[in-house]
Formats: sequence, structure tokens, C-alpha cells
Amino acid sequence: MAEASGAVALPGMEVRQLERNLYEVYIGPAHPGSGHMRIIVRVEGDVMVEVDPDIGFVHRTMEKLSEGRDWMKNIPLFERMAILDACNVTLPYVEAVEKLLDVDPPERAKYLRTLLCEINRVASHLYGFGIFGVFLGHSTLYMWAFGDREIFVELAEKLTGARLTHSYPMFGGVRRDMPDDFGKHVRKATAYMRRRLDEYAKIFLNNPNIRSRLEGVGVIPKGRAVEMGLAGPNVRASGVKYDVRLAEPYEAYDRVDFEIPVYEEGDSLARAWQRVDEIRQSLSIMEQAVDWLEKHPREGFIHEKFWKTAPPIYKQVYAGAVPYAGKYRVKMIPLYASLRVPAGRSFARVESGRGEITYYVESDGKDTPYRVRVVSGSFRNVIAFKYAMPGHRLADLPAIYGSFDYFPPEWDR
Amino acid sequence: MVEMVTAYVIWHDFLRYLIFYPPVYQFIIIPGLIAALVVAIFIIWFERKAAARVQMRYGPYEISPRTGGATQLIADLIRYSFQEIIVPRTVDAAIYFAAPVAAVILSLMPLNAIPLTSNPAFWPIPMDYSLLVAVALTTLSPIFVIVMAWASNNKFSLIGGVRESFIVTAYELVAVLSMLSVAASMSTFNLVDIVEAQSGGLWYGLLNPPAFLAAFIATLMTTSGFPFEIPDAESEIVAGPYTEYSGLMYGLDMGAAYIKRWVFSVLMALVFLGGWAPYVPGTGFVLGYLVPSLIVSAKALVIMAVMSFLRAVYGRYRIDQALGVAWEILIPLAMAAFGVGLAEAYFHVYAHLGVMAVAG
Repeated sequence: MAEASGAVALPGMEVRQLERNLYEVYIGPAHPGSGHMRIIVRVEGDVMVEVDPDIGFVHRTMEKLSEGRDWMKNIPLFERMAILDACNVTLPYVEAVEKLLDVDPPERAKYLRTLLCEINRVASHLYGFGIFGVFLGHSTLYMWAFGDREIFVELAEKLTGARLTHSYPMFGGVRRDMPDDFGKHVRKATAYMRRRLDEYAKIFLNNPNIRSRLEGVGVIPKGRAVEMGLAGPNVRASGVKYDVRLAEPYEAYDRVDFEIPVYEEGDSLARAWQRVDEIRQSLSIMEQAVDWLEKHPREGFIHEKFWKTAPPIYKQVYAGAVPYAGKYRVKMIPLYASLRVPAGRSFARVESGRGEITYYVESDGKDTPYRVRVVSGSFRNVIAFKYAMPGHRLADLPAIYGSFDYFPPEWDR
Repeated sequence: MVEMVTAYVIWHDFLRYLIFYPPVYQFIIIPGLIAALVVAIFIIWFERKAAARVQMRYGPYEISPRTGGATQLIADLIRYSFQEIIVPRTVDAAIYFAAPVAAVILSLMPLNAIPLTSNPAFWPIPMDYSLLVAVALTTLSPIFVIVMAWASNNKFSLIGGVRESFIVTAYELVAVLSMLSVAASMSTFNLVDIVEAQSGGLWYGLLNPPAFLAAFIATLMTTSGFPFEIPDAESEIVAGPYTEYSGLMYGLDMGAAYIKRWVFSVLMALVFLGGWAPYVPGTGFVLGYLVPSLIVSAKALVIMAVMSFLRAVYGRYRIDQALGVAWEILIPLAMAAFGVGLAEAYFHVYAHLGVMAVAG
């Protein structure tokens, strides 16, 4: 039953009349340029006048699910938000629970966490680059970025035993120590990646074809970026020097030497360069972390409170007395299975590949959390689509979308 | 005396007048449908292998490692042929089916207006105005892409169709002007004369590089090759005008684009790269027709291979940027090329080089 006003309320659906000369295009949810989301675009001719990011297609009720699981089992759960950035995504949960437990992980664990976080950050940025490349029809960058990401995925595998869902940070430490020859692999990977970044610049970022697509497209001025509350590389590309690693150093970030790159332009090209510079910084952090780890003796990778409950065989393996598949390499501690966290509320945040990720954890003293609230970087960035895209042409949609490195599963949870 | 009608005569006449009759032969076999299919398979294979080389991977490989995975393309072709053709209920069915077929046939038409030898026995049509006819025939097929888009009744198709129409209006003038600058330069539309004039080794592509460059880029634009893969930009509008097509019909759509590229490459090989130039066609079918046609095909194949390789280097331009390139850079370039052609005619460049293209 159509009304003259044009607004008809159907169950779960709103139908409204478009203005004259507007054309509505649904990009997604099953569209080669959309990812797991839908973008409702109203175009006038070829120019977008209204862009409405319609999210929620990969919502998995993670916050609710976490209330029914043991504290420990929530780590693999939260990883599913962004499996390509698994350590960064679960770290604030672990930190928040550690605050409730009142344990401080040993120095070595902090460095190990920092190391994996940076490996994840590089892999995650490369993933974003690959998607960005294919959005612009640049298949070479897509293949290069995904090929080179493999190196960092394998580094993570050498460190943790898993390619993507590492579940590495645990309450009071990490799941296992690093292998003996890990430093060698890290240094090889960083040297290779530095060389590759120059080649990326040659084929993609300085390619006149790509530059003309990105320069001045999707500009977000500094003030606007702050107003919208953008996070991560996107806000830094708009000239705001904000990074959790700097604002509130966690783990070993206050002891490693790194810079926060900032770009003033705020356009798609700046966001792409921002990621290149961040990869460079991450490589440097990885090297520093691995240097520290090699110089310092293996003095426990987990808090004494948990380590003392470990069976003797674990301690023998870690001491190198018992040859095991990988010297010094111990797996999970059994105590965690029946962990009860004292009642209380805590909050922690880290800088993930896509921006600040925040956890609020509330415990009522049981073996499952009372409430976990997650706010991820992608959630804070998605709003930018609505304001950065109008005024540009439909063909700019992938150029802007890709530059934000938006990852639907991370926001939808 | 009545000639005996024997099986031999029937067979001979069948071959002579139906298969090897130049208009049919050129349309169906070389450089027409069958050659275009072989070329398409080779070029797609080359495109995938070359791009894979740049991108640090193998490309097609596992299906037959010894041939570099070449049979993968045959397998793909078979799959396309036997895939179910899904016709959405909302399309205008008659036009939906007719348009791709018409596009393929019309894309092949220009091949019937070109000579592949200087031997008049193997010309499909009289060659006096062949360049003009061939260039004119290349402009027929794009309209059917727009028809496809309209008949599909899909938003992405429609946007793709609109983009195609913009691109067509932009590139056509460039292609025509740059191809015809050779006619200005040599005062003839006769492709045979044009090729003969280049037999000294001084190809027109060397004599007038702007024309060659403009024609090359115009061809890239019309056949939506990178960096101008705009009407069917996957990440923006799915498959553009071909979104609603599946199976063999989609194969036809893609085939029409490849055939168009092939036709332009053959034309460019004749006009700019001296056609069968180092070779002087002899008599008889093999020496007089087959060999020169293979030389022309080989040159055209090189042009196509270069076009395919650009996929590994470029992303795609936005439609307004591509149109800007066409109207602001290419058309002045083509005009300049035409001017160069006129200047060459005025100073009798070819006559000075000892080539008499046109008597009188």
C-alpha cells in the first residue's frame, strides 16, 4: 500500500521514494567490491550523493557468547573478529583480565607479545594493501602483498605454532617461548620486506595511474577526523598524532624505539603511505624486540603464579633438559581450565592494525565473564564512508573503501 | 561437352567456393573466427603466465606442467560451453540473446575488408577503399554492448552500458583519425598499396609514431584493456554490461571483446607494422595466402601480447579520467598524427624513399 508521502513501513524494511534523478545502487553484501557488508549508494549521474554503510552481515554475537564461556576459552573466540590480526585483537582482553587477576606478566612475555603484535600488524597492513590493490584493478599489488604477507604469517607460525589464530597471549604471559633460531628468521624477513616496500612504491604508490586515482580522493581534514572519532592509521593520515602505543604504552612499547608517522593530506594516497611507513616502524620494532629476547636469558614466559602449577615435565622441557619437539617449547598450563577471576571491572586498550581496540571486562567472580564489551578500530572508521564518499564518483567507492582498510568481521563481531 | 560431376568435382568446388572462397575463409578461418579463438586462448594463457611471472607465482600449471598449463584454457573453454545458461526472468529475452551474437558477428566483419596478401585472387573484396571500409566496420559492434546492458535490466549492467557508450564516443574518433592518417600520408585508402609502400622496411609506425601510439591506446580503451578496464570494472559494477550473462553467453560477450582487440591488432599490423612486409607473396594458396596471413597474424599477436601485459602494471582509471585522456590528450595527438601524415604527403616522403604507393 503506497502512500503519497512515499514512506511505507513494512516489517523489518523501510521503503522510501527517491528524489528525482537519483539512482540507488546496492554494493553488496555479495559483490566483488563490498566485502561482508552492504553499502547503499544513491548516485546522481555518476556522482554519489548519499552513502549509507549497512553493516551487520557477519555479526556473530561474540559479546554474548563470551558470557557463556570460560575466561580462557574467550581468547580463541575473540580472535575470530580479525584472525589476520589475532594477537592485537585478543591482547586487550588478556590485559583487562590480568588487571582483575592482579598479575603482571614477566618482562620476557611482554617482549614476546610486542613481537607478535608487530608481526600481526605488518601482516594485517599487507592484507589491507592486497585488497586495496584488487579494488583498483591492480592485480600485481594484490598478489605481491598477499605473497609477502605469507612470510609474516609463517613467522607467526614459527613463534606460536599457528598461522592465524595463534591464541598467543594468555593470562600472565604467553603460550610458549620463541624458538632458538627465531631471530635469524625475523631479521631475514625485515630485510626482505624493507626492500619490497620500495618496490611497492614503484609499482603502486608512485604509479601515475594509481596516484591519479588516489590523490585528493576521500579527503578527511584533521578536524573532521577528530569529530568522527576515526582511529588508527586513518586518523594519523589526517594529521592527528594519536596512537595507543604512544598515548598509553602497554607491554614493551615504552622500551622500544619507534616513531609514529603522520601525514597531513588525509586523502586515500596519504592513508596508503601511512601504512607503508607503519610497516617500516613495525619492522624496526620487531628487530628490537628480537634483539632484547636474544640477549636476555629465558627467565620464564609466564607469571610465577601460574608457572608453579605446571607439571614438572614442563619445567624440565623449558630448562632444556628434556628434548621435545622444539627445545624450550612448552604448551599451555592446565590451571587455566578452572580459572576464576575476582569480581571487578577493568578496561584495556591496544593499537591494532586497524586502530584502537578497547575491551571492557566485568567479572562477578565466576568462571565466566559477566560482561565483555568490545569496540574495535573498524567500528570507528566505518562512519567515515558516509561522509568521505559523497561528492565523488561511483568509481571512487573502491578507492576510498580500500584506503580505510575496513574489515567487516572486526566491527560486526 | 558437359563436365562430369564426380565426387572429386563436388569436393573440389566445395572447398574452392565455400571454404577457401576468400570472403568465407577470411571470416571463418584466418584471421576470422577460428584464428581468433586460437589467438584468444593463446593470449589469455600468455596474459595469465606473464602476469604470474610479475606477481611471483606460477599461473596455470598443474593441469599440464610440461606445457606450462596451456590446456587449462581449453578446460576453461569447455566449462564455459557446458555451463548452464541462466536467464533472469526480468530480461528482454530476445534482445538479451541476439545482442551478444550480433556483437560477435559484427566484430568479425572488418576482417572481411582487409587483404592478407598482394595477390588479387585472394582478396575478399575489391581493395580500393579497404582501409575506410574496415575502420567503418569496427564501429558497428559497440552499440550491441549497450543493447546488452539495456536488455539485461540490471543496475550494474546499465551503469556499465552508459560507461561503454561514453568510452565509445571518446575512442572512436581517435581510432579513426589515427588509422586514416596513413591514408592522408600515402594518398590512398587501399590497404594493399599501404602495405606495399612499407615493404622497404620503413614501417608507418616508425614514420608516424604518434598515430601508432594513439591507435594503440584507443584500442586499449575500446576493448576495455588495462588501464582502461572501465565498463566492466569488477570491484565497482560486477561485470558491467555482462553482469546478467552466464555460461556460453558470457563467453560470447568476452569473446566479442577479444575479437575486437584482435581485429584492431590485425589492422594495426597492416597499417603500422608493414603487414606481410618483409615477405613478398608468391602464387598459389600456401605461398600467396597462407604464409603472408600468418606473418600478419604474428605481428598482430605481438601487439595483443603487449596490450595484455599492461594488466600486470596498471590499475584502472576512473571513467572521467579516461575520457579526459581521450578528449584532452589523444584527440590532439591523433590530430597531430594526421598533420604529420599530411606533411609527409606534401613532402612526398614515400616517393623520396623510392616507394611509389600510388601511380598518379
